[in-house]
Amino acid sequence: MEKNIKKTSLIKAIISSLVIAATTLILFILPAEYNIDPTGVGGTLGFTVFNEPLNEKQRIAEPTSNNLEEKRVLLTIPAGRGIEYKLAMAKFEKVSYQWQTNKGPVYVDLHGEPKGDTSGYFESYTIATVDHMKGSFTAPFDGSHGWYWKNTTDSAIEVQLTFSGQYIVEGLK
Amino acid sequence: MFSKFTLSIFVIAALIIIPLTSFQTFAHGVDETTRHFLLNNSGVQLTPFMYIGAKHMVTGYDHLLFLVGVLFFLYRGKEVLLYVSLFTLGHSLTLLTGVLANITVNAYLIDAIIGLSVVYKGFDNLGGFKHYLGKQPNTKVAVLIFGLFHGFGLATKIQAFELPSEGLVSNLIAFNVGVELGQFFALMFILLVINVWRRYESFNRFTTTTNTALMSAGFMLVGMQLTGYFIN
Repeated sequence: MEKNIKKTSLIKAIISSLVIAATTLILFILPAEYNIDPTGVGGTLGFTVFNEPLNEKQRIAEPTSNNLEEKRVLLTIPAGRGIEYKLAMAKFEKVSYQWQTNKGPVYVDLHGEPKGDTSGYFESYTIATVDHMKGSFTAPFDGSHGWYWKNTTDSAIEVQLTFSGQYIVEGLK
Repeated sequence: MFSKFTLSIFVIAALIIIPLTSFQTFAHGVDETTRHFLLNNSGVQLTPFMYIGAKHMVTGYDHLLFLVGVLFFLYRGKEVLLYVSLFTLGHSLTLLTGVLANITVNAYLIDAIIGLSVVYKGFDNLGGFKHYLGKQPNTKVAVLIFGLFHGFGLATKIQAFELPSEGLVSNLIAFNVGVELGQFFALMFILLVINVWRRYESFNRFTTTTNTALMSAGFMLVGMQLTGYFIN
């Protein structure tokens, strides 16, 4: 059933498969998947972009403890994808918010997930397909509260989100 | 002569391109749409779960590469059926028991083993075991055992969502049925391409190259998943 080949060609097959695999991993896959780029080739060819934007945005989005000043973040929803931006809030804490897209409506689901819950349960406060929204909400329970946006178009959409109130930023999920 | 050449180029290109296209979206786990669906729905949802299972299989390059390796030298319908049934038996067993008994295995490690199964099959096809061990390990047992690991891989994808227990069994079975449908669909294409190619002399000329490429792809999967394991 299997092929009988000479010992030298078998060794050649093993070595070349390993060399090809190692080269592809180091030059392309590791830079793209994990932002590990020992040779710099991945970065030069643009394979590390999958990791960069997220890191940058998280840096903007992260930080802070409870605060009442207005916070502003710019989020990008890639084409055909959904993103989630969450705030950790205790029960009865309140947040006022406002957001708008740079082009056209997106599907949005403002919701909260109870702290420590593993069943996947969540409660939606607002579901709509709009290009902007303004309002406030009070957390009905301790947990993670925020927005899920879905971009069904074939180009990236930016969302400018401003919010203030009592929260700890969890950021993009 | 020209058409043979074109055909072999097409097959090799397909073997290289198909796994690459799904790299980003499915490299680890399930895509965004599926994720949102899984997080938003509870209760029995037969057809959606079936669809997710089928999609996972059709776009799961690691499963497909293994099947290419298994089917490479099988051309009799009976044999194809036997080997595919063994693979199905193996992965269904661990998919169902893994999720229901809540056995958690590290997703990276299991995916690395799945990568290893691709290497194994490529090496086996090259006659490597016969050469170094003097005999070939039982290929049916090997397919069954690797089937068990592939099933654990599928189980980790489902477990990542911590699905509610309500309707879990039905959803899981629907997912499993979807996996088999997706596998059937993918198999048709793999068999079609391999069997057409088999008629040409280039099939024999490229046997070593194809299985070397298979091994190499397997090594890439192993390397990628192990790196993921160590940095997470």
